[in-house]
Amino acid sequence: MDPSQLLKGVLDLAVLAVLRDADGYGYDVLRRLRAAGLEDVADASVYGTLRRLFAAGALTSYVQPSEEGPHRKYYGLNKTGLELLAQSTKTWNHFADTMSVLLLEEAA
Amino acid sequence: MNSTLTGPVATYLAQVRAELSDLPAGELDDVLDDVSGHLTEVAAEFEDEPTAASLQERLGTPRQYADELRTAAGYPPRKVTGTEKTGAEAALRWGIVASIVGPFFVVIGLANGTEETLFFGVIGLIALFGAAYLGVRALRGNNPEAVLATRRGKQAAESISSTIDQIPPNVQHELVTIGQPVWWVARGIVGGGAIFAVSGAAAVTVVGALAGAVVSVWIGRKTQQDRRWLWYVVPLNVIAAIIVPIWLAFSFVGGTSSRVFGDDYTPSSGYNQSGLWLDGNGIENIYPFDERGQQVKVRLYDQSGNPINLQEQNCRLDSADYSDTLSNTFPHRRITEGSYGSSVDEGCKDSEKAPFVPPPAPATTPATTSVTPSPTPGASLTPGKTPTPAPPAASKPGVTLTMTPAR
Repeated sequence: MDPSQLLKGVLDLAVLAVLRDADGYGYDVLRRLRAAGLEDVADASVYGTLRRLFAAGALTSYVQPSEEGPHRKYYGLNKTGLELLAQSTKTWNHFADTMSVLLLEEAA
Repeated sequence: MNSTLTGPVATYLAQVRAELSDLPAGELDDVLDDVSGHLTEVAAEFEDEPTAASLQERLGTPRQYADELRTAAGYPPRKVTGTEKTGAEAALRWGIVASIVGPFFVVIGLANGTEETLFFGVIGLIALFGAAYLGVRALRGNNPEAVLATRRGKQAAESISSTIDQIPPNVQHELVTIGQPVWWVARGIVGGGAIFAVSGAAAVTVVGALAGAVVSVWIGRKTQQDRRWLWYVVPLNVIAAIIVPIWLAFSFVGGTSSRVFGDDYTPSSGYNQSGLWLDGNGIENIYPFDERGQQVKVRLYDQSGNPINLQEQNCRLDSADYSDTLSNTFPHRRITEGSYGSSVDEGCKDSEKAPFVPPPAPATTPATTSVTPSPTPGASLTPGKTPTPAPPAASKPGVTLTMTPAR
């Protein structure tokens, strides 16, 4: 099974989860996802997801100058984002539990 | 957009931009801001400047990158068959129109160089720039290479590249590195020179040629950066490609190139219009008056004794018979009623009476009184006997013929 296919469905949740601890800019979010073990995540899809979540009103955004290069656009969770994260977490847990039970039954 | 990106990274960004060109302008700029920031970070992962290949290995092709971004951001899928393809086809069509129709008229206009045919030159330039503008518009933000994706574009590209392949690689390289700047300067000199040569002054032409060379080199460099300029440059190149050899040929033959560009208006050349002209207007008849204001009949000769003839147009002539209709005895009879070619029986009338009120008698003008040798009223002029002063009309500026009663 291709992990990148699975990722597509849960990328929103993963990005929200990464931003729960601290605000971050695109490349930073990408790095944190990779560090968390999601190595197959596609760079462009993370940037696209951030844009969509922001457009949906789940994220705040602000620009900060950086020492090394161009300004960086930071994203953070707002109230809507936190609610979305909570709800999505619930959905995911339910789904994951269901899948686990299913797979256990199959194996048994 | 981040302007600090260079080389393959900037190219990658431009390619992503082209893939996303269907997005609304504001959204596109925002997205490309993100992409440019991302590419800056990615470029920093490499020790040296990344190559196009290493970028693709890291990020996928620009199209894959754009598609991932598009899907994740929830943008509508790319319309491949829609605007871009028809746009490219329209652009190709207008490019062909600009390259063929425009130069065709411009060359006709320049080749003859008379005021009448310069009109065609103007039409040609309008066709050229109009079609080029429509071509660029149809292309929108796409790279001109999009036209190569169309069927006709593919065929043309194949035939051209197979021709180029027959040139040895080292010659190809020299043609580009040496030939290109030389060509830029040559087309600029000819183009700028030709435009200003119409004014006729050599000094202006030289300045125009130098300015043309500078502009041409600038356009050449600009086109290398933004290939959409090709829509204007290619048709202009076609014109230049036709005119440069003609110009060189005339220069070698003997410096008569000026005629090609239309600054040769000297009346002495056999190139002049036939007939009798005053300040650009054709003279159809002459009504001589003596100093008392009486109309007289005279025969006119030029300074060499050649008769100054004009075509007669009276009732006795028919349109088919042009022999012996020239006469230097003035005034001619002019048709006043009925049409040319119809006989007197058919109601044709002609007259040698002046169709205007005769000018006041020059006796009232004091300047001529001392030299006037009291002529007989109404007498016809006897050639060689009376030193007739120039008639009043002849003292006007711009008269191109001196009329002297001779022999």
